[in-house]
Amino acid sequence: MQHPTSETFDRNAREALEDVQLRGALRNLATTFGERRKLAILTVEDWEGLRERARASKDETLAHLDKYLKAFAENAERAGAQIHWASDGAEACRVVLDLIRERGATRVVKSKSMATEEIHLNAALEAEGLAPVETDLGEWIIQLAHETPSHIVVPAIHKSKRQIAELFAEKVGVPPTDDVAVLTGAARRILRQSFAEAEVGISGVNFGVAETGTILILENEGNARLTTSLPRTHIAVMGIEKVIPRLEDLDMFLKLLPRSGTGQQLTAYQSLITGTKRRAEDEGPEELHIVLMDNGRSRMLAHPVTRQSLACIRCGACLNACPVYQQVGGHAYGSVYPGPIGAVITPQLSGLRTNAQLPYASSLCGACREVCPVKIDIPELLLHLRAEVTEGTAAGTADQRGPVKSRPLERLAFKLYARAWASPTLYLWGARVARVLQRLVVRDGRIGRVGGLMAKLAPPLAAWTEWRDAPPLAPRTFREQWREEHKG
Amino acid sequence: MFASIREHLAASAPHDAVRAAHHAAAAHGKDVSAREEKSAAVVFEGTAVERFRQALEAVAGHCSVVRGEAAAADALRRIILERGARRIAVSDSPLARRIATLAEANSGEESELIDDAGAAELFDCDLGVTGAQWGVAETGTLVLESDAERHRLASLVPSAHVAVIEARSVRQTLGEVLRALGSGGAERLSRTVTFITGPSRTSDIELTLAIGVHGPAALYVIIIEGEGGTDGG
Amino acid sequence: MRVSLFITCLVDQLWPSVGASAVEVLRRAGCEVVFDERQTCCGQPAFNTGYRNEARRLARRFIEIFEDGGADAIVSPSGSCTAMVHHFHELFGDDEAWCKRAEALAARTYEFGAFLVNVLGVDDVGASFKGPVTWHDACHGLRDLGVREEPRRLLRNVRGAEFVELPNADACCGFGGTFSVKYPEISVAILDNKIDAIEKAGVRAVVSGDASCLMQINGRLTRNNSSVRAMHLAELLASHE
Repeated sequence: MQHPTSETFDRNAREALEDVQLRGALRNLATTFGERRKLAILTVEDWEGLRERARASKDETLAHLDKYLKAFAENAERAGAQIHWASDGAEACRVVLDLIRERGATRVVKSKSMATEEIHLNAALEAEGLAPVETDLGEWIIQLAHETPSHIVVPAIHKSKRQIAELFAEKVGVPPTDDVAVLTGAARRILRQSFAEAEVGISGVNFGVAETGTILILENEGNARLTTSLPRTHIAVMGIEKVIPRLEDLDMFLKLLPRSGTGQQLTAYQSLITGTKRRAEDEGPEELHIVLMDNGRSRMLAHPVTRQSLACIRCGACLNACPVYQQVGGHAYGSVYPGPIGAVITPQLSGLRTNAQLPYASSLCGACREVCPVKIDIPELLLHLRAEVTEGTAAGTADQRGPVKSRPLERLAFKLYARAWASPTLYLWGARVARVLQRLVVRDGRIGRVGGLMAKLAPPLAAWTEWRDAPPLAPRTFREQWREEHKG
Repeated sequence: MFASIREHLAASAPHDAVRAAHHAAAAHGKDVSAREEKSAAVVFEGTAVERFRQALEAVAGHCSVVRGEAAAADALRRIILERGARRIAVSDSPLARRIATLAEANSGEESELIDDAGAAELFDCDLGVTGAQWGVAETGTLVLESDAERHRLASLVPSAHVAVIEARSVRQTLGEVLRALGSGGAERLSRTVTFITGPSRTSDIELTLAIGVHGPAALYVIIIEGEGGTDGG
Repeated sequence: MRVSLFITCLVDQLWPSVGASAVEVLRRAGCEVVFDERQTCCGQPAFNTGYRNEARRLARRFIEIFEDGGADAIVSPSGSCTAMVHHFHELFGDDEAWCKRAEALAARTYEFGAFLVNVLGVDDVGASFKGPVTWHDACHGLRDLGVREEPRRLLRNVRGAEFVELPNADACCGFGGTFSVKYPEISVAILDNKIDAIEKAGVRAVVSGDASCLMQINGRLTRNNSSVRAMHLAELLASHE
C-alpha cells in the first residue's frame, strides 16, 4: 500500500485539514493528554530539576556512548543474552530474520516497538513468508488496516471507534459494536491464540542499563510481558541511544516518561529483563537476543545540536503539544516518527534530501521544547536543519556540501533583502517604491484577496491573502516621522 | 560500531567547546549543579501502607489491609467467591501457597488450586495468586522478582491477579526499591523483575479507557500486617 | 535612563504609530529615548529560513550600530526581534570576539513590556481604555524571553479596561515567519483556534507584544469583519480614553 511521504507534506497536510473526523480525534488527543500531563507533573516536587538531571544524564551518556554501550553489551552477555550489532535497518532485519529461520520458527508475536517500525521489520519478515502478529492493540489495529502508526504512543489515534469496529468486522469477524470494552475484549480473545502458540517474541527496548545489562520495557496492556515471557526465543531490537548508566537512573526516567506522554504516574507494567533464566525449569524464554541498532544514530553524535536528538525517550509529549501536529496528524509527515521530534530525526535518519520539507513544517513556537522531559531544544534543531537545507552549512547532518534543496528564487530574494536591508538608504527607497506599488492591491485601507497576475508575481502575498487581510504599508515609516519631528 | 561512534564524537569536539564557552559565559540565573535530589512531591501523612492503598485504588486496583494470615485467607476466599473463580493458579511463594490453600479449602467444592501451572494450563485459570517481594507506596506498585518466586505468568495470564504482601515489604519510593535491587550488583539482580501498577489497560481506541486488555482485568493486593513486622511507615 | 529604540521592520513600515506609542510611554516612564536612523533589520527572517550568511551580515551591522550608541538599554516593541538579538551569538560559531560583542549587546536588549516592569519597575503608566481586553502570549517573547507576568500586570492597571485571561493564551497564533506563507492552510487552521477563543472571550481588543502575531491575528479578524481589534501593548498603554 502506498503511504504518503514527507516529500508531499504540503499536500498531505491539506488533505488532513479536510478530514473532519481526524481533526476531532486530534483535538481530543491534544486536550486530554495536555490536561493529564499538567496534572501529573504537579505530583513531582521539582519537575524542572528532574528534567535537567535527566538531560544531564543523557548528555553524559551520549558523550561516552561507546563506553556505555560496551558495558551494557558485556553485562547483558554475562547474564546470558546474545548481542548482535546492526549498523543499519537492513542489517537489523536480516539479523532478526536469520534468528527466526535458524530456529525453524514460523509463529512470531510482536510488542510495540518504534525501532522496528522505523526499519519496516514486519514488511521484511512478511516478504520472507512470515506473518508476525502485532499484539499491542493500537499496533494490531493498524496492522489489520495496512497502515502506518500516526503517533508514537497511540498509533491508531487517527481512527474512530466506528472505523475500528468496521475493521474488526471485516478482518476478524467481530460483530459490529459501539462498545470499546467489547472491541477490546475481542482483541484479547483473538490475540491470546497467537500468544499461546508463539515461538518467537519480538520487542523493543525503552531503556538499556549499562551497569547491569538490563533491558526495560514499559507498557499498559500486558502484551509486552506476554511477548517476552511465553515464547521460547525473545528478540529485543534496541536503538543504541537507549542506553542509560545505572539501574537507579530508571527512577528519574520512569518519573518523567509516563507523566509526559500520557499523564500517568507509571504505566501498568515495567519488565526489567537481565539475560536469560537462571534455571532451566524457570518460566521465561530460553534465549534472549538483543539487536543493538545504529541506523543513522551515531552520525547525530557529530554536533552538539544534533546529538540532543538522541536524548529522546519517545514519550510523545511534543506531538501532543505541537500546534502543527494537532492540525494535521501523523500521517502527513510521511514517517513513523511524526510531530516535532519526527521533523528533526526523520531527516537525520533517512536523509535531508528526501525530507527537506519537514524542518519547515513548524511555526517554531517552542511548545515542544517546553514539554520535552529531557529538554531537547527542537526549535534549535529545526533551525540547524533549515540552514543545512539552504546552505549545507550545519555539520553533522548532510553527506554532501552545498544546499540540499536549491530554491533559486527564494535564495535570490533573501540575498537581495540582506543587501538592501544592510543600507538605510536602500531600505528607505525600497519602502517608498513598495508604497507606490501597493496601490495596485490596497482597497479600503487593507489588502484583500490577491489574485490573477499579482498572485503569480508575488505568491507569498497570494498565499497570505487567501485567508487573511494584509496590512498596507503606512504612508510614512516611523523613521521618516522621527526625522520630521527631530529636524533641526 | 564503536569506531564510528568515537569518530563522530571527535568531530563534535570543537562545537562542544564553543557551546561550553557560551554556557559558561551566559549566567542564566539558575544553578543547575546545586540541585539536590528531592523526594517525591506531596508530603503524605500516614503510613506507607495507607499511601500504597490510596495510590493503588487511584489506578483501579483493590487493596485490603489485614492482620495475620487467617484474615488474609478470608480476604482471598471472598475474592474467589465473588468472582466465581474455579481454577486458581498459585506461585511457589510459601506465603501465597499457605494463604491460597487456606482460602481454597474454605471456599467450597467448586474451586481448584493448581500449583506449578504450565503456560497452557494458565490460560484455563481464572485467578492467579502470587506474593510480591516489594511494594512501592508512592505509586501503588508491586515488585516481583523471578529469583525469589516463580510466578510471572500467574500474575499475568489469568483474568484476575491477587498478590499477598507483608506490610514491611512496602517501601515509600520507587527509587528506594531500585537501589535495593541494584545493591547486590549485576550478578545478584533477578533475571526478570516485574513492576505491576494496577490492572491491564489501554486507551488506544479514541482515548477511551478500557481495563483488562492482555493482562488481568482485576488486581487485588492483600497487605498483611503481622506482629513483629512494622507497617513500613 | 537612556533608551535606544530598536524599532523593527514591521513596526517601522506597517505600524509606525506603535513606535510612536512606545516612545511616548517610555518618556512618560522617565526615559530619554533616542533613535539611531542607521538601523534596519535584525535578520530574523533570514535566520529562521536557514540563510545564516545573510542573517550574519545583518547581525554584524546591528551589533556595530547599537553597541556604541551610548544607551543604557536597547528596547524593542517585538519579542521575536529581541529574542533574535539574544540568539546572535549562534551565528558566530567559534569567533570569540563577535560572540562576546553579541552577548554584551544582548545583555542590555529588552522587550518593551519586560523593560517597563523589570528594569524601570513600572507597572502603571497611567493609561486608560474602555472595554474588556485580553492578552495573546507571543511565542518568542514567552518561551525565549520568559515574558509572561509583565504584560498582564501592565494591562491590569489600565483604567477602564477589564482584563480577561484568554484560554490557551500561550497557544501559537500560527504565524511562524515564512511558515505563514509556505504552509498557509496549516497556519490559518492554527490561527482559527486563536480567533475562536478571542471571539468567545467577548473582548474589545486582543493585545500582544509582537507585530507579527498582530498581523496574523488582525488579518483574520478583519477578513471576518470582526468587531474585535488587535492592538500592540504599546498602543494600549499609550491610550487615554
